[in-house]
Amino acid sequence: MAAERDLLVLCEGWLERVLAAAGRGAEAEVFVQETRGTTVKVFGGEVEDLRYSHQAGVGIRVIVEGKLGYAYSTGLEAEKAERAVEEAIRNAGFSSPDPHNLLPDRGAAAAEDLEIYSPEAEELAPGEKVKKALELERLTLEQDKRISKVETAAYTDAVTDVAVANSKGLRGYYRSSDCFCYAYPIAEESGEAQTGFSFDVGIRPSDLDLEKVAKEASWRATVLLGSRSMPSRRTTVILDNIVAAEFMGLLSSALSAEAVLKGRSFLAGREGERIASADVEVVDDGLLPGGPATAPFDDEGVPMGRKVLVEKGVLKGYLHNTYTASRAGVKSTGNARRGSFRERPRVGASNLFLVPGKGGRDDVVREVGEGVYVMQVVGIHAGANPVSGEISLGALGLRVKGGELAGPLREITLAGKAVEFLQGVVVVGGDLRFLPFEGGLGAPTVAVEGVMVSGRGS
Amino acid sequence: MLEEELVRRVIREALKGGGDFAELFIERRLSRHLRLEEGRVEENTTGLEEGAGIRVVRGESVAYASTNRLEDDSLLEAARAASSASRGVPEGKAAVAPFPPAVVTRGGWYEEDPFGVTRERKIEMLHEADDAARGRGSGIVQVVVLLGEGIQEIAVANSLGRTAVDRRVRVRMIVQAVAARDGEIQTGYESPGILGGYELFKEFPPRILGQRAADQALVMLDARPAPSGPMTVVIANGTGGVLFHEACGHGLEADAVHKGASVFAGKLGERVASSLVSAYDDSTLERRWGSFACDDEGAPASRTVLIEEGILRNFINDLKRSRLDGFPPTGNGRRQSYRHVPIPRMSNTYIGEGEAGKDEIIGDTALGLYALKLGGGEVNPVTGDFIFAVTEGYMIRKGKVAEPVKGATLVGNGPRVLMDIDAVGNDLDFDTGMCGKEGQSVPVCTGQPTLRVRRLVVGGTTEVM
Repeated sequence: MAAERDLLVLCEGWLERVLAAAGRGAEAEVFVQETRGTTVKVFGGEVEDLRYSHQAGVGIRVIVEGKLGYAYSTGLEAEKAERAVEEAIRNAGFSSPDPHNLLPDRGAAAAEDLEIYSPEAEELAPGEKVKKALELERLTLEQDKRISKVETAAYTDAVTDVAVANSKGLRGYYRSSDCFCYAYPIAEESGEAQTGFSFDVGIRPSDLDLEKVAKEASWRATVLLGSRSMPSRRTTVILDNIVAAEFMGLLSSALSAEAVLKGRSFLAGREGERIASADVEVVDDGLLPGGPATAPFDDEGVPMGRKVLVEKGVLKGYLHNTYTASRAGVKSTGNARRGSFRERPRVGASNLFLVPGKGGRDDVVREVGEGVYVMQVVGIHAGANPVSGEISLGALGLRVKGGELAGPLREITLAGKAVEFLQGVVVVGGDLRFLPFEGGLGAPTVAVEGVMVSGRGS
Repeated sequence: MLEEELVRRVIREALKGGGDFAELFIERRLSRHLRLEEGRVEENTTGLEEGAGIRVVRGESVAYASTNRLEDDSLLEAARAASSASRGVPEGKAAVAPFPPAVVTRGGWYEEDPFGVTRERKIEMLHEADDAARGRGSGIVQVVVLLGEGIQEIAVANSLGRTAVDRRVRVRMIVQAVAARDGEIQTGYESPGILGGYELFKEFPPRILGQRAADQALVMLDARPAPSGPMTVVIANGTGGVLFHEACGHGLEADAVHKGASVFAGKLGERVASSLVSAYDDSTLERRWGSFACDDEGAPASRTVLIEEGILRNFINDLKRSRLDGFPPTGNGRRQSYRHVPIPRMSNTYIGEGEAGKDEIIGDTALGLYALKLGGGEVNPVTGDFIFAVTEGYMIRKGKVAEPVKGATLVGNGPRVLMDIDAVGNDLDFDTGMCGKEGQSVPVCTGQPTLRVRRLVVGGTTEVM
């Protein structure tokens, strides 16, 4: 894999080509990403899928007279550059001018010595990775005799190199490693089947606690056996920390300054307003130790940092990149995010989380007393709309009776408006947990009162 | 893209560690993408992508190596990686069949070449949709118009004697309109696509898309919250097809069935739906977004009867499953790109037409919900439980479409819903979408005529009907 110096040199080489072709007054940025990874999936004690991938690509942004063009190409070779450069410049010619199409300049130095990379994943033999996945499956199966199979048990790792260079003198490089394991067991009893899920993440394979994943995944499947629907009613809903973290995805879309500026967010125009209960504090911290998205700089090279977005329920600000910051007259918050080199940077979370309070899951359940404990939500991409703020989702979980978790529930839906959910937060647990998706979303167990839960009746 | 001698060497290398078969897949993709928002062209992107994936299959095990570099040495290295990955697993046959000349498919056919339409014209089309949407009412506060097109060329060869190439040209326009009034925000959405060229816009002129998206958002602004609880639901044709896709389609994919992770496992030949229901997966449909000339393993596109008058007839499979389960291949081995392994995926999946007229079905419904447009959804193929969002809905009262309602979801169980379908219309139509499974997204169409389901749980926000 190309070392730091090589990747930055390559980046600068492409940048020179772009600027030479685009002419005076043009600004440009070259973003290079190279990833090498292994994925193992097992089923029934055998390897089902073993994948090696090695991919590299370049994304070019060109700004000519305020007009932005973008092109990307797989492969890092110089021969690939010519066509991509040509396309990016041509594309700029057809875009609408916008004085806020700006690139970040050199600015403050990015953090160093972040613990985001370990060579352990690259040093571990593929055979050992296979063993981990098989071990995870074995451990999961032996947790409970009702676990009939593990639909998928997987181990995956990736080492990624990122380099960025722009015409304002900005230069940046980092290497990160990500290891991830998960299991989807199926529990069966009396003709009924339920699925469970759990995962672990870290920067090195030895960070992953297979036993913990096996226990949690099996419990989550078996505890739902015998589930029934319930009559519709308004009640207090406890979101477990995985579900609450999924809901943070809705918040991350609505907190994007891009969405706000363009009237596509239910949080637009509400800065300074009380949008949540006083127990709610939301932070985005790209330097959080152990955070899934932790990195020295964002996807256009702006240093990461910590920002408070909601404090005691009051909305303090939004997530910005250089473009949105220019429009809003503020500074970038270091939240430029791209899915990969294939996209220009938009706005996204970098470890966005609901600040934890105290107590574990059982403490929250005890405090709530009566209600519904939600363990899975279904259809979140369709049923949680960051524009309108409307929420309408399927759910599975457990009844809460007398301060304890009770009988399992299925075929119920939760509905309401996002702001009502936020304002209804009455208990915030201490068990913060992150999902390594969409820029890192984290939350503890959270209780929300007054939620409409629908069901098929008894 | 396939030079015979190189292919031979690569596949032999891949099978050095043994295996039932090995496959080389090469892909080149050129895509262009325009985005208009706030009345301005803010994004103009070109993508140039190429890569290869080498697969070795041994029993249930798949070893896969992918790379961006298509030079000989890079392909051979990937083949070695795949081969060493499959070592240490019980021996399989390792024959390499002779290579016939590549089956050149009919793919890439279009009437109006997307790359022949000028950029100026494309930008004009973005503005047509935008102007039409904004012209529908002052409540429209934002419009996003996306126009994307791509040419995907694939070449695949395997050790069983199959070689094929396909060229897929696709075009899609997406219009999202946002309406707002008094703090209430609603959205409308249109997203037609075609396996073809700009002839798409003869059937879907941009200004019509803009109008429809805006009208949907404006209507829903005036909607009252949907009631909750079980009720009769009439699902409109076209977008309603996501019902079958989510409720049943994933459970009919042979890999889920094989793992016993499908509610339809073991039910071939049994009744799984009302006798009014016949359902198909058909990748041969002309111009449909989910179609292709051959799948991503080189098998020809085909039409599979999934359910026939309520009886389960076939699952959809890929090459690996077809060989291991002993069923004929259905040509549904698809992958998002060279970076992904092929797995059984739907193409154009739909419920076939019946005889009733739409007005007849609604007229026959005393009280219920009319789901005119469905948004995305999700299913658990193990349990059959599904959910999807109703993005444009109306109450039906005394056989007539009544007031609009918002925020409804439909929740149910696949097999139960199929049994509860008690009316099937004669107005089959399709909708365009992307289907995600195991981290891979592929283009699909979903379709159905107007259908009525006797009883579904509607998740709404109010308690009173």
